[in-house]
Amino acid sequence: MPSLTVPPGAPPILQSLTVPPGAPPILQSLAVTLERMLVRILVLLYLAGAPALAQTLCQPNASNGYRVRISIKTALGNQAYEWNENEMFLFRATMAFAMRRYYKTETYNVDNIIVCNQTRRVSFWFVVISPENPTMLIPKADVEKAVSMSRHRINNAFLLTDRTLEFLGIYPTLAEPVNPDTPPWLIVFGVVIGAVFAGIIALLVSSLLQKRRKEKGMMEDGQDEEDRQMKGVENGINLDGIYNRGFTDDDRFTKL
Amino acid sequence: MGKDAARAEWDNPMQFVLACVSYAVGLGNVWRFPYLCQMHGGGGFLIPYLLMLVLLGVPLFYMELAIGQKMRLGSIGAWRAINPYLGGVGLASVVTSMYLCLYYNVINAWSFWYLFHSFQSVLPWAECPVNSNLTGHVEECERATPTQYFFYRETLDISGSIEENGGIHMGQALCLLLAWMIVYLFIVKGVKSTGKVVYFTATFPYLVLIIYLIRGVTLHGAINGVKYMFTPKMEQLANPTTWINAATQIFFSLGLGFGSLIAFASYNQYNNNFEKQAIVVSMVNSSTSIFASIVTFSIYGFKATFNYESCLERVRLLLLNTFDLAEDTISLENVIHWIAELNRTHPEQFASLGGRLETCDLEAELDTAVEGTGLAFIVYSEAIKNMPVSQLWSVLYFIMLLLLGMGSMLGNVIAVITPLSDLKFISRYMSTKTLNGLVCLFCLLLGLGFTTHSGNYWFTMFNDYGATFSLLFIVLIEVITVCYIYGIKRFEKDVEDMLGHRLNCYWKIMLAGVSPILLIALFIFYIVNYIQGGTPTYQAWNKELGKSVVTEYPPYAQAFIGLLLASSVCCIPLTALYTYCKKRNLASGKRERTVSTVSA
Repeated sequence: MPSLTVPPGAPPILQSLTVPPGAPPILQSLAVTLERMLVRILVLLYLAGAPALAQTLCQPNASNGYRVRISIKTALGNQAYEWNENEMFLFRATMAFAMRRYYKTETYNVDNIIVCNQTRRVSFWFVVISPENPTMLIPKADVEKAVSMSRHRINNAFLLTDRTLEFLGIYPTLAEPVNPDTPPWLIVFGVVIGAVFAGIIALLVSSLLQKRRKEKGMMEDGQDEEDRQMKGVENGINLDGIYNRGFTDDDRFTKL
Repeated sequence: MGKDAARAEWDNPMQFVLACVSYAVGLGNVWRFPYLCQMHGGGGFLIPYLLMLVLLGVPLFYMELAIGQKMRLGSIGAWRAINPYLGGVGLASVVTSMYLCLYYNVINAWSFWYLFHSFQSVLPWAECPVNSNLTGHVEECERATPTQYFFYRETLDISGSIEENGGIHMGQALCLLLAWMIVYLFIVKGVKSTGKVVYFTATFPYLVLIIYLIRGVTLHGAINGVKYMFTPKMEQLANPTTWINAATQIFFSLGLGFGSLIAFASYNQYNNNFEKQAIVVSMVNSSTSIFASIVTFSIYGFKATFNYESCLERVRLLLLNTFDLAEDTISLENVIHWIAELNRTHPEQFASLGGRLETCDLEAELDTAVEGTGLAFIVYSEAIKNMPVSQLWSVLYFIMLLLLGMGSMLGNVIAVITPLSDLKFISRYMSTKTLNGLVCLFCLLLGLGFTTHSGNYWFTMFNDYGATFSLLFIVLIEVITVCYIYGIKRFEKDVEDMLGHRLNCYWKIMLAGVSPILLIALFIFYIVNYIQGGTPTYQAWNKELGKSVVTEYPPYAQAFIGLLLASSVCCIPLTALYTYCKKRNLASGKRERTVSTVSA
């Protein structure tokens, strides 16, 4: 009984085409031809429909896909470039590069990145399919890690930044804050307070020296106690007696 | 008077004028006047302001300078010489100045903090800091703005309410120490050192203001702010609050009643022409207010326009992303047009935007009236961070604030030190340097209370209640004393003795008639307002919400407010009583002695 080896992944309809033994020879040859045709058609469909299949893998809100939003004019203003198929190709190539870098293999190619639903905003969805198994999608978490690892390279390929090339759902890791040992404000503070302190000490010392010099000068002049008392004014402190108000106009002061 | 021949003096009259200018031109000119202008109808506010200057400000300023120059003593000695029963007026001035000294230098400490933090490549209040696991920004900062976060969290480390005290913020304490050291450096040698310092503190802020004016009016959107400020809304003139605020602003801006002017004038030559100087200083102060408000409003205009355009940009992006339109279809100019358009063509999708769609309103941005210390730090630093070369502008601005604050601080401290150094029992035991150092140390130690986690709330309490009501009362008693108890005729004779010509009728009418009436009206208004206001409240920073919430003061804080108000006002009646008792004891003692000699 001629039986075609039914490929293991064949649809059930092929598997059910085994002709029962005892059937007339004409039926058998008909079955064989039909089988061959079906297989060829299916193979052709498969080959033709692979992209279509892949397209069904890539859908908006796909479970393993990410949405990308690009804002070229916001980023570059007058020097903005046009988003066209070539740029899209670059995107897919960059993503393949990111996947290669993450998995440390060289199996990923541009065909493994499927893109769909492009809008005028310049936003689209993409999924990554495995190079070994074209129907299997790379899980979301792995794609995220790959993108995060090569984010800087992806941004630079397009002259964009984290804000203008957005992967919705993948948050950019923020730069580590630089923590110097001494906060810079303390340094400036130290300088200023040092200067002020020096100024105060200088003023106090200079006035002390001045007083000492004046005292020495007065003693060297040989003034005796009486003269100093008669002067009555020394270092700004009035050593006079109480001012006698008896000789002033009465109406200048309130009567007590 | 020959008694004080050895009293220290200004090197020349210019130093005195600059000292008065430096004292009068302070932070209030830069912050409070623009706020009042904005609140009370822009250019129209100038009418009540200038009117009150002429009716209230200049005559009272003149009177204080006359008293100081005549008596050649600080406020306690001067008022005691005018009338021994009313020596308490001077004491009340000293107490009020002491409160002012305590909390005013904290503003200078904040200015230092911001100044030192300006020396960084990215201003720390420009962006939110990253949180500990590097996934995003600190939450509190996300809910508020980076400038608010920097002020409330990093500068003050503020607690949730006045009851939660916490410890001292070391950075603030260090800045306060620096501020007091600089004050001491400026006053250590009395008017000799102060006289030289005021050349700088009085003139440099004008240089910075001019630079800022040029920078300010060339900023994008500045014209919106200036237009907004100067558009007069004449209906505000019918509102009595406008006139009262104008009077209060003149009053506090010139620094009347603190005793600083008396102290400054006491170091004058006896025949110094203070009449011309009084007019000059008052005019300079008012014109600086107007000049500073132009600068302030051009910066507000810039900030409001920047925020408005950022809002439009966010709305534009939201629309582009939601409706997947090409980037160049919506520009900033036609965002509003597109909102209406999209609402018409895609109503369901538009409705799904819901609350995310912000309304952008330039008027609302300009209307956010800003007043007071903390808010002004936040708003100005926000405007500065958006300027190109923001570090330079930040440094310049905070240096200007520091000079204005230090200049006023000099007046405050001298108002306390001059009467103390005139008291014989102090001048006998310590030199001026030691006295100055002790006063500065005392104020520093008490001022550390304002650097605790709840310090800002106490600061606001002092700012709102420490000097407002008591000053009105003090100046009212001053005017009544000089004009009616001492006598306007005697005052006239004193002035003629000093200046060489009689008081002309403008001064007489104002001092004896108009000013007391206006002061009584102000005083009554304050009392009525305070009673009607109910429980006093304050703005507490809520870190969960990322904004300030109005909270009532707890009972012990309200009692403290009462103490603040009473402590300075009570000096006047208490001193009068004390003097009366002393005189009676002296009189009865003399009678006893005479009786005893007769009997002997």
